[in-house]
Amino acid sequence: MSARIPWVEKYRPKRIADVAGNDKAKKAFIAWLNSWVRGRPSKKAALLYGPPGTGKTSIAHAAAIEYNLDLVEANASDVRTSQALRTKIFRAASEQSLFGKRGRLILLDEIDGISPREDRGGLEVVKELINISRHPVVLTANNPWDPRLRSLRELCEMIEFRKLGKRDITRVLKNICEKEGIECPYEVLDYIARRAKGDLRAAINDLQSIAEGKTRVTLHDLEILGYRAEQADMFTIVRYILTARTPLQARGVLSYPSLDYEMLIQWLNENIPYQYSPSLVAIADAYDALSRADVFLGRMKRRQQWSLLTYVLDLITVGVASAREKPPFKFVKYSFPQKLRILAATKYKREAAQRVLKQIAKNTHMSTRKVRLELLPFLKIINESNPEMMRKILKSLDISKKSFEAILS
Amino acid sequence: MLMGIELWTEKYRPRTLDEIVNQEEIVSRLKEFVKEKNVPHLLFVGPPGTGKTTAALCLAHDLYGEHWRDNTLELNASDERGIDVIRTRIKDYARTIPLGEVPFKLIILDEADNMTSDAQQALRRTMELFSRSTRFILIANYASKIIEPIQSRCAVFRFQPLPKEAAKDRLRYIAQNEGVKVTEEALEAIWVESEGDLRKAINILQAAAALRKEVTEEVVYEVLGKISPKEVREIIKLAIAGKFLEARDRLRSYMYSYGLSGVDVLKMMHKELLSSKLDLNIDEYTRAELLDLIGEINFRLVEGSDDEIQLNALLAKFALIGSKSRRTA
Repeated sequence: MSARIPWVEKYRPKRIADVAGNDKAKKAFIAWLNSWVRGRPSKKAALLYGPPGTGKTSIAHAAAIEYNLDLVEANASDVRTSQALRTKIFRAASEQSLFGKRGRLILLDEIDGISPREDRGGLEVVKELINISRHPVVLTANNPWDPRLRSLRELCEMIEFRKLGKRDITRVLKNICEKEGIECPYEVLDYIARRAKGDLRAAINDLQSIAEGKTRVTLHDLEILGYRAEQADMFTIVRYILTARTPLQARGVLSYPSLDYEMLIQWLNENIPYQYSPSLVAIADAYDALSRADVFLGRMKRRQQWSLLTYVLDLITVGVASAREKPPFKFVKYSFPQKLRILAATKYKREAAQRVLKQIAKNTHMSTRKVRLELLPFLKIINESNPEMMRKILKSLDISKKSFEAILS
Repeated sequence: MLMGIELWTEKYRPRTLDEIVNQEEIVSRLKEFVKEKNVPHLLFVGPPGTGKTTAALCLAHDLYGEHWRDNTLELNASDERGIDVIRTRIKDYARTIPLGEVPFKLIILDEADNMTSDAQQALRRTMELFSRSTRFILIANYASKIIEPIQSRCAVFRFQPLPKEAAKDRLRYIAQNEGVKVTEEALEAIWVESEGDLRKAINILQAAAALRKEVTEEVVYEVLGKISPKEVREIIKLAIAGKFLEARDRLRSYMYSYGLSGVDVLKMMHKELLSSKLDLNIDEYTRAELLDLIGEINFRLVEGSDDEIQLNALLAKFALIGSKSRRTA
């Protein structure tokens, strides 16, 4: 096996424009560099600051390539501790480039790694470097607002880098997958991007650790990352199943360890027709699988045969996704299961109606179900056409007109 | 009754065994039990509206006289939540000794055939446990749905629908008492449409009397038109026309606003499919296919599956079959 090249290095942008997101910072950085090219820098150094993995180091690398500069790179704290490095950096910074020779870009990473409290000397070294440098100096920091860094800040063009959006991150990840020839479902990229919380470096590292050397990645692979379904949202799961490219791919959702499959069944029941309309074949096939899953679920629970669960899970994923004549992919808005909404919204009304029905049932020696089915239709007719007769009936049953009419609506 | 219930089915329900007409054989045997002050466990079976519950209540009345309510526990298997609840209620009830000179109390368990066979097994043990202090009257539509061990412990009484003339006599008597005019054709129509169910017949009569002072054949059909489930017919039509989403939404609002179970809806669908009023423009083979599907879904529901999911699957199949049938037509 050849040595693993970190993808973070392998896919570092070659041009400033390729650095993901942070358009405002990129513009400011280019303006500052151009002021060096014109020979009159507003500030000799730029301090790029912001959370990790937002492109601070990458933009320096890209600038070196794009402006044809030799990159002289060091970690700020090393400059202070290693005399050899210090000498090298100082020489690189102070030497005037000779005609025909390339210019240089000095990069000092993690400037806030120098503890201004413990070691003022370290900061003095950096300030001295900026003062003597004949080349652009780029500093990076996560948090530049320590009061002791104030004098340093005054020497620098301050450029802020912000956390990357999920979309910027997934775009980069998708690009890498394409170049590596890896098939990776959107849900995986989406999960990695969300988990990274704006840190592209972390996202790329995550992707590399689950995807390197594979031709296909599934949600299963996310387990390596300690993938816990933090109650993965149902919209995503339903979409994953209903728009799976292959039925087996739909099975990917099963890797959510806390998947609420009974809830999922309700969600599929609600949303199958939205995704599969107008194909009646696809709708019928998908419902067929779903209804058989429901049958298995019932048997499993009644007989306590938990081993049947696997068939339930297969049917609601592979089974549903195997529907024939599925329409081409379209983005549809899914809806929360109306059944659950209606049941919750009408709970008190239904309970009140049940009490009235019980009262009638007791007086007529029938079950509430029979009252509803066999007596209520007649009572409705009487109620509409003969208020006087109805009044007498209700009075004899000891039921108020109001509560009776509640069961009719 | 302590208070007169103004529903004619209750108002004209016989109070004593003597008031029951046209079930002579059953009545005379029940009277024997009263005379002996000894009753075996009883199983009353027969179609709806043939007097099973009435006979049980009259027997209780004749056995205990004015104290009959204190000595009778009425339970309906469809309304009690499971066999455990039924057992507890029976246990609590059987603990106290009966009032009066009859040495046991009565437990009337209606719609017993709605119990699963497991629940019936548990019921059998309960019957044995309390047989010294209680007697059971089980009521069911079908004897075949009651497990053998229970049947063999009971004296089985089979109830038949009232003969046509007896039923019409009863309706005529009620109408006369209520000061309502009924034509002979109206009575004939009620008899045909109620299919031997006297409760339904009386309900039709009362609703018709609520509509018009004089009950004619037309009024009877007006009532029948109002109670027929048009909604279900519409739902089937929408599904067959391939409008699945509309059919699904209509079904949902119908079920929830009327509090119907999936089985209720299936039974209505089954009836509709066999009704001549439903014009679906499908061939006979397709109709048979639809009926077969209803049977399958009904089985799944009684097995305990989810009403909405199963009915949606059914409507989706209807929609598919409907579209195929149109294509070949």
